[in-house]
Amino acid sequence: MPARHLVIGGGTAGLNAIRTIREEDGGASEITLVSAERPYSRMVLPYYLGETISESHVFTATPASLAAWKVKTLIGRKATTLDTGARALTLDDGSTVEYDDCLIATGSRAARAPVPGADGPGVHSFWTLDEARKVIADVKPGSRVVMVGAGFISFTILNAILARGAALTIVEVAPRILPRMVDETCAGIVADWLRKHGVTIRAGASLTKIEEQKGKRKLSFKSGAPIVADAVIMATGIRTNLEWLKGSGVEMAQDGQGGVIVDDHLRTTVPTVYAAGDVARGRNLVTGAAEVHAIEPTAQEHGRVAGANMAGRDVAYRGSLLMNIVEVCHLDVASFGQWDDTGAEVFTGVRPARSQYRKLLFRGGRLTGAMICGPSDDIWTTNDVGILKGLVQTGVDLSPWKRHLAADPFDVKPAFMATRTTAALLPQTVLGRPSHSPSLPQTVATR
Amino acid sequence: MKVLALHPDKCTGCLRCELACSYMQTGMYQPAKSVIRVSPFEGYTSYAPYTCTQCAEGWCMTACPVGAIQISAVGAKDVLDDKCVGCKLCTIACPYGTMFFDADRYKAYKCNLCDGAPACAEACPTQAITFEDVPQRDWIGDFAAQRSAYVLAREVA
Repeated sequence: MPARHLVIGGGTAGLNAIRTIREEDGGASEITLVSAERPYSRMVLPYYLGETISESHVFTATPASLAAWKVKTLIGRKATTLDTGARALTLDDGSTVEYDDCLIATGSRAARAPVPGADGPGVHSFWTLDEARKVIADVKPGSRVVMVGAGFISFTILNAILARGAALTIVEVAPRILPRMVDETCAGIVADWLRKHGVTIRAGASLTKIEEQKGKRKLSFKSGAPIVADAVIMATGIRTNLEWLKGSGVEMAQDGQGGVIVDDHLRTTVPTVYAAGDVARGRNLVTGAAEVHAIEPTAQEHGRVAGANMAGRDVAYRGSLLMNIVEVCHLDVASFGQWDDTGAEVFTGVRPARSQYRKLLFRGGRLTGAMICGPSDDIWTTNDVGILKGLVQTGVDLSPWKRHLAADPFDVKPAFMATRTTAALLPQTVLGRPSHSPSLPQTVATR
Repeated sequence: MKVLALHPDKCTGCLRCELACSYMQTGMYQPAKSVIRVSPFEGYTSYAPYTCTQCAEGWCMTACPVGAIQISAVGAKDVLDDKCVGCKLCTIACPYGTMFFDADRYKAYKCNLCDGAPACAEACPTQAITFEDVPQRDWIGDFAAQRSAYVLAREVA
């Protein structure tokens, strides 16, 4: 009897696992996908909001493509109970699915600030496609929009809000913007840039309540004047979707909010159960620590590694690299690895007139974190964004270059080349083999 | 598969490759938009071209959330413009620094080997860039290490 794989969650991790299983087995196994939503890419929702792509562009799989991949789909169904002894999943309609191995890839959801009125009318999250549709309906030319939370998620939709012709105010409880993505100097550069582009920023503002007032939203704060808005978007953190897994025997950290415990094969404490993406407490490539990296690239790599192992390969995962990039009003900001490591040796460079910033963090001779900021017109004339990633990813010994980089943190390219980073990178692959095109493996279609 | 072989000791720094590349990739003669880049060494007395290796992992391709990067008929990782939304994930996933972003078109772009007839190799007057069926390797590392040793030694002194 062919192996029966069950994938729970149709996001980036789940779909990458499915594709990888098919790359490995050519269609020989049975795959069932349980997904609360039709598969789409959360990463591209901001472009749907900004109307540079249509809604159909966000979908990562169609009923036809999943059928061609020989995947049995249970879309619109949620997992409710996992019986790891009987190897059976119960769904919210009471039906059960039996499996030989399964992947937990249920991702996360947006959390709102715990204040009165946070769930009221005109207050939105921007995380799912359904939430995106509601924001689109509510944000029009001339709308006054308040975004609560100045983190990565709110910055990914900033351009789109402005493109819709809305006036934008960002409020943040921390004393500055992007508190978990960049340092204070970089945050200052970004804040100055945004103000020049007409965005109002109110940092250190502690929201106390949201009230309905004549069809508008009134936001009150611990100190300072209230703000009246047409629409409010809450980008105040995320929570893992793991409540349903409690009692299954699959071990989790911090009652699920710290993710599912996994080994270097993305296998949980129950050997027939894997976890990937926002719900997996995987390995940090730089530090080796087990932690949740709720970012798209980690979900993609986790999904592929878990899928390969489910298909019978023996693939150990080296770990994921924390990284983010966001562009606001043509200013690019990216960070890699342990950019906030207070124990690191730090070299920084600022070119204030051009809004450029660089930060290099070292542990010994190894670059363990980096930050880069600058106008798109400057950044993309260099190879530097990816080069910083390559230096952190390989951990090549930069000892001979540290003095040079301390004097000029902008001049990373000769260090990258002379330390033969390319030679270190060329043999590196996530699955121990060359990657395939993301299109359908022909072996499945023709079998 | 045929790859771009880079021979830095033959490079004169004329930048014809950058002009040819930018024209092929963007329709403009703008070296700043070229996806092959020539780096100076030793105070602009020697030079080395640098571009995408079409690596086995294809970090850009696997990172793309909408499958906009695919392997072309000549084996290059190629961006499909009508699929790219401009999220830039590929630019932070590529550890070689050879994924670029065109702010004018709002698309990511990279070396696609000009579909099998690379303009840079054609334009290079000294054959510092050739298109050959050879194993991919680090063409620049040894050259860069030798040519930067003097600079580093002087900085220490």
